[in-house]
Amino acid sequence: MTTFEVLTWIQDSALAHAISKTDHLVGAGLQIIHVMGLVALLASLVLISLHVLGLAFKQQPTSEIARESTRLVWLGLFLTALSGTLMFVATPKLYFYNPAFQLKMGLLLLAIVVQLALFRRTASNTTATPAFARVSVGISLAAWFSVAMAGRMIGFI
Amino acid sequence: MSVILALAEQIEASAIGVAIAESRYAYPVIEGLHLIGLSISVGLIFLTDLRLMNVFLKRVPVTDVLRHLRPYVIGGFIAVFISGGLLFWSAAARMLESPAFIAKLIFIALAGLNALYFEFVIAQRAPVRENHSLLPTSVRYAGMASFGLWTLVVVCGRLIPYLPA
Repeated sequence: MTTFEVLTWIQDSALAHAISKTDHLVGAGLQIIHVMGLVALLASLVLISLHVLGLAFKQQPTSEIARESTRLVWLGLFLTALSGTLMFVATPKLYFYNPAFQLKMGLLLLAIVVQLALFRRTASNTTATPAFARVSVGISLAAWFSVAMAGRMIGFI
Repeated sequence: MSVILALAEQIEASAIGVAIAESRYAYPVIEGLHLIGLSISVGLIFLTDLRLMNVFLKRVPVTDVLRHLRPYVIGGFIAVFISGGLLFWSAAARMLESPAFIAKLIFIALAGLNALYFEFVIAQRAPVRENHSLLPTSVRYAGMASFGLWTLVVVCGRLIPYLPA
């Protein structure tokens, strides 16, 4: 099966038809969930970053702030991934060959790797050197903001 | 209304309006900055609201949450207002004809009034200023109102292209 055949099969599936052939506000609803999920993800990430950098809630233990915020990061990622997958299923060919979408998926992969490899270690480890913390927070925020930017470009490219 | 619309058409036809609308990258990049700015400003307000509702960061004093996050909320809002203003500039007439855009402006105004009332009345009361562990229910209601209103702002904003006149 070629990629194109797979995309055609997805586009002709019952789920795809259920999303794309009903009211166009179903698509709008998915977009709204996608934005709200992204807002939850980015804001929680900014909050942990501010704490790790010593800019907010210095007196509080990092583990506690990180634990509560990380839960919201994953909730946001779950909402965006779920709504995003449904949007993709509805019109896979529109997305798959879009350069902004391809860039976004690459950046998303990078952001998740950075999150697991660098950021998590920084947020959970109070002995991480300030320089290491600053660098990993900077790379992580830059990666996620780039995902958001590339995602917003999809509809225009 | 026709006067306003005529003015909007003039704004849209101005050099900057046309430049943004016709550039291949300017419009989407400004849209992207609008999204990132709102994730920081409105996003941190959502987190503050969750704290006021007593479901998030319960052990961090409310006054700390308000004071420490304020510069980033304001910074994010500056980015949102500048990018939003530029987007409006390039499509003023279309925006004014969309009921979603008008609703969005109304909800922003209500959210702003709610924030001012919270800041200058509720947050000035002794239990909040002195970080009592049990806060008055008005604090929780202010958080819920803010969360609901900003959610409506985001929803209406996303609906603008879906609900033209």
